[in-house]
Order: sequence, then structure tokens, then C-alpha cells
Amino acid sequence: MSAIETVRDRYRTFDDQRYAPLVKGVALFGLLAALPTIIEIDVAGMELAALLSLKVLILTVIYAYTAQAWNIMSGYTGQFSFGHAAFFGIGAYATQALVVDAAVNPWIGMLVGGVLAGGYGLIIGALSFRFKLQGHYFALATLAFAELLRFVVTNMSELNGANGYFKAFPRDYGAEYGLVAFQFQNDLPYYYLIVGFLLVVTLVSWVIKNSWVGLYFFAIREDERAAASVGVPSFRYKLIGVAVSAFFTALGGAYWSMYFNTIRPDTVFALFKNVELLLPAVVGGPGTLLGPIVGSFIVTPVSEIARTTFSDINGLDRIIYGAFLVAIVIYSPRGVVSWPSQARALWKRVRGDEEVSE
Amino acid sequence: MGHLVTSVAPLPLQGGGLGRFIDPFVQFLTDITNLEPVLLQLLAFGLLLGGVYALTALGLTMIFGVMDVINFAHGVFLVVGMYSVWLVSEMAGISPFLGIPIAAAVLFVLGVVVHVLTVEPIIEAPQQNQLIATLGVLFIIQSAIEIVFTPDPQQVELSLGSIQVGGVFIPLGQFYALVIALGTMLAVRAFLNRTDLGRKIRGTADNRDGARYVGINVRRINYLTFGIGAALASVAGGSIALFQRFDPFTGETYLINAFVIVILGGLGSFPGAFVGGLIVGMIQVFGGYYLPGTTAQVLIFLLFIGTLLVKPEGLFGGAEA
Repeated sequence: MSAIETVRDRYRTFDDQRYAPLVKGVALFGLLAALPTIIEIDVAGMELAALLSLKVLILTVIYAYTAQAWNIMSGYTGQFSFGHAAFFGIGAYATQALVVDAAVNPWIGMLVGGVLAGGYGLIIGALSFRFKLQGHYFALATLAFAELLRFVVTNMSELNGANGYFKAFPRDYGAEYGLVAFQFQNDLPYYYLIVGFLLVVTLVSWVIKNSWVGLYFFAIREDERAAASVGVPSFRYKLIGVAVSAFFTALGGAYWSMYFNTIRPDTVFALFKNVELLLPAVVGGPGTLLGPIVGSFIVTPVSEIARTTFSDINGLDRIIYGAFLVAIVIYSPRGVVSWPSQARALWKRVRGDEEVSE
Repeated sequence: MGHLVTSVAPLPLQGGGLGRFIDPFVQFLTDITNLEPVLLQLLAFGLLLGGVYALTALGLTMIFGVMDVINFAHGVFLVVGMYSVWLVSEMAGISPFLGIPIAAAVLFVLGVVVHVLTVEPIIEAPQQNQLIATLGVLFIIQSAIEIVFTPDPQQVELSLGSIQVGGVFIPLGQFYALVIALGTMLAVRAFLNRTDLGRKIRGTADNRDGARYVGINVRRINYLTFGIGAALASVAGGSIALFQRFDPFTGETYLINAFVIVILGGLGSFPGAFVGGLIVGMIQVFGGYYLPGTTAQVLIFLLFIGTLLVKPEGLFGGAEA
């Protein structure tokens, strides 16, 4: 018992240090960087890679990234967006349209997509916040803006309508396979690239959380009228949240379009995509820095493994997905990352009761 | 309505420029001034579709109005209704028309179970939590149907034919669906206005706390509302199955349009659901005829967003429960 307490006290002293977040971040991203090697380690004749392929890891980190981006708007400012597929799709389409139709480098396409998505986010935000949409109405409005884009793109022959885009070869836009071309010949560099994306958006989130911008965001989330009455310009700060979140979500869409071969309105703007983008944050813990990452490592591998293991039972992965959704909002609306502190509280209560009974 | 779309006259300038946005409206206006008989046909199709749409929105607007919950599972309740009617008529050989009340009974029970398991525990939680929970229910039921019945489209074997009224062609399957929709709407309205239980439901919709103070068992009203909402969805689904093929994912399109109708007509409003259903039905039919592809759906979403922004309480908002 005392050994555990010593460890706990040591950890608390460490946690109070200014460098603690840095150490934790380096440890987390070190682990992420080592994962492709870890899954190939042979443990008693079993490799983790048999279950957890590099492709699944990439998908997991993509959704960790997009959930982290969603979190900036919905987790921090509390404006629940159900339409982030709009931004994701804009990023994917802007990149592919520029690469395929105009032979522009995908990195430029990605940034254009980010700016366009930010602009669309500002329009959605300005309209919805100006007309004071809240709760259900705001969620439905964001969903409507996403569905609107799905049908607009489906009906635009300029964007190949329902057929979408097929990714171009690097030589088609004057590049070689590699970082500059945003295309690689195997999956490992793709993995490190998306880990890099996650690192950037996590850093941005950390900076926001630890600045007065984050303070304003959280004030708006907790009680917007109270925040406004003490002088927080809530309209402007909600818009900042939407724009930043939309920008980064679009970069995720651009990555998606450069990793997979095709994009179609029914994939990147899909109704289900809205859910996939936000679910890891909800499962892990909305409004936290670690939540989206932890959440994605729970949700994505489980549904991917279900999909591949029971490939003859189509739809089982969605049942697991649905069960996650229901269970998490009923039993743990604050997410998985709140479990340690809840367990501590429970432990304290149990011990407290013992002391009383003595 | 596929056969109508193919008969559309080739529009000048179509495929590029601003013309493709303006020409359909020019064409529409010319048809009106010429009193083209096709307009009457389109109007009939719009009415047939709109009536069914109104019924799909009815259960949703009721749950929304009484409990303030957005039920994402509504679309899949519709699909369960379709499959129930299909099962009853294929397996047991009972007429699909008798299958609809059976489906409604099944769905009432399913609705209450779903409510008790997923919505009731978090009825006081932030609104997005109920949205996520019912979305989870959507995925679970939808995939369960997919696993049991395969994703292939199914069809109720029923050849009802069609009739001609004054040069207007009316498929009987859709006509019966409209009759069922109107009958159900009138019945529900009478139930809510004339019975004691109905008044309690309306009272709860008006003011949950107030209802509690005057001794209404709000918990039981919630069970009842969710059950009736689900049963209404299955009646809608069952009547759609009379004239259309369906698969486990058919519910999604109807769900989205039902949201539009609920918001358009006003949360919890019955006349609103009816008028909203007609508006969406008409836009789809006329848009499908005059506009290329699925552009009509773009119009519907623009209307939806416009309503949310300018008049979120809807056309008939706050009128009655």
C-alpha cells in the first residue's frame, strides 16, 4: 500500500512541474511513432499485426485527428456540430479538383481546401449564431449545411457529379513519390505523416486551451450569457472556434483523399461521416486534449476488427458502433478519460466508508 | 416518377452557365401560362407523395413536441414497419393492409423498449446526448435488419394497378397510402383532442413541470408518446411499402426529409406536419421534373436552412401539440 502511495506522491510532484505536459506529450507521440514496430513484435507466437494492421492504425489516427479538430469547436465552445463532413468533404474535393483538373500540388490544394472550409464554417456560424440557434436547432442546421453540400456536389458536372475523383499519379502534377507529392509507395510514411498532422492539431489545441482564447471558449460553453455579461465577445469567439475547427477538419479530408484512391460525394460528405468524425471525441471525452486520441484508439480498431473478422456478417461493425454510442452517453457522458479520476473518487469513498465503520 | 423524368423536353442551354438555373423556371412558367396538362399530373403526384411524407413526420414531431428529443431512430422505425408488413404478407399470407396494424403494434412495443433502454436514462441530459443515443439505436437496428434480411431490396407482392381520373394517372398503391396517411392523421388528432389521455399528452407537451404539478404521470406519458411515435413511423413505413421497393437503408432519406418537414411545419404541430409534407412532396415532384438530377433536394435543404434561421418555430409553430 505504501509503495503505491509513494508512486502516487511522486507522480503528483511530477504533475505539478511546468515541463509535465511536454513530457507527457513526448511520451504519447513517442508511443504513436513506435506503434508500427510494436504491432510486429512476436509475443508467444502471436503478432498484434495479425489483428491490427498498419492500415487500421492509419485510419485510427485519421479519426483521432478529425475528432481533435471537431473538439476545438464543439468540445471547447460547446457548439455541437453534427455537420463536420461538410468541412471534411471540402478539403477532399478542393485537393482533388486542383490536383486532377489543374495539376496543382496537393499541399497547395489542401491549404486552399482549409481556407474554403474555414470560410464555409464562418458562413454557417455567422448565420446560426446571428439567429441564435441552439441545441437541437444548431445541430440540425449544421447537418443541413453538410447534406446541402452533398447534393450540390452530386449535381455538379464540373466536380464529376456522383462519380467523384480518382487520385492522380504524382507525375501527372510534376512530382515524384515522396513528401512533396503527398503520395508514397507504401503505408509507413503515410502513417508518420498523419501522426505529424495529429501532433500539429494537438499542439494547436493545447495552445488554445492554455491561452485566454481557451478561457473564453470554456466560459461560453459553461454559460454563454454569463460570459457575455462579463465582456466576453461570444459571437466572435464562437466564430473563431468554428473557423479553426473547419480549417483543420478540411486538412484531414485532404489527407483522406491523398491516401485512398477515390472520393465520391457519398463517401466524404456521407451522413455517416458526420458521426465518424465526432464519435472518438465523444467516446474519449469531449473538451479534453487526450479524449479524441484515446477515443479513436477504442472505437476505430474495434469496429475495423469486427468488420474484417466477421466479414461474412455485413453490418456487425455498425452494431458495435451503435452500442458504443448508446453506452457512452448513458454511462459515461464525460468520456473514457474521466475514468481514472472517477475510479479515484470511488476508491476514496470506499476507503472513507471503511474508516467510518471502524 | 421515373417515367416522367425521361419525358422531359430537352432544355436549351442545359449543362452549363447560368442557364441551367434559370431555364427550368422559365420552362415552368411557360407551362403554367400554357396550362399544360402535365401540371395537373405533377400536382397529383405531389399530393400523393406529400401526404405520405406528412405521415412520416408525424411520429417525429410528436416525440419532438412532447419530450424535446430528436429521435434519429425514427427512420429505422419506418424500415422496421416496411419489413414487418412484408414479412406478414409473404410468410403468413395475410394481406399487407392487415399487416400495417400488426406492424404498428410491434413497433409500439419496440418504441417503448427503446425509450426505456436509451432515452429515459438521459432525458434530463444535454440535448446532443439524446441525439447520439438514438443515432446508436439507428445503427443497431439498421444493421440487425441488414444481417437478418440481407441488404438486397425487397418488395411487397401486390399489383394494384392504377386509375385514370380526368386524364390524370393515379397509381392505386400510392393512393391507398395517401388514404391511410390521412386517416391516421385524423385519428391521432381526434385522440389528442378528444380523449383524456390525449389531453394529458398535450398538457405535457405544453409544460412538463406544470403537467407534473397537476398530477400527470409524465413518465408514463413519455412511454406512451415514444410508443405512439414509433407506431406512427411503422404505419408510414407500411404504407410506403405498398408502392415502393425498400432496403435496410431506405429510412435515411425519409428521416432527413421528415426533419425538414418537422422544422418547416413547426415543432409538434399537426397541421404544420401536413403542410410541410405537402411542400416537400411538391418540391420533389416538380423539381424532379424540371430540374436536372437531384437538384430538388438542394432546394429542400435551402428551404430548411432558411426556415431554421428566420423562423425556427416553423410555419405553425406553437399552435398546438
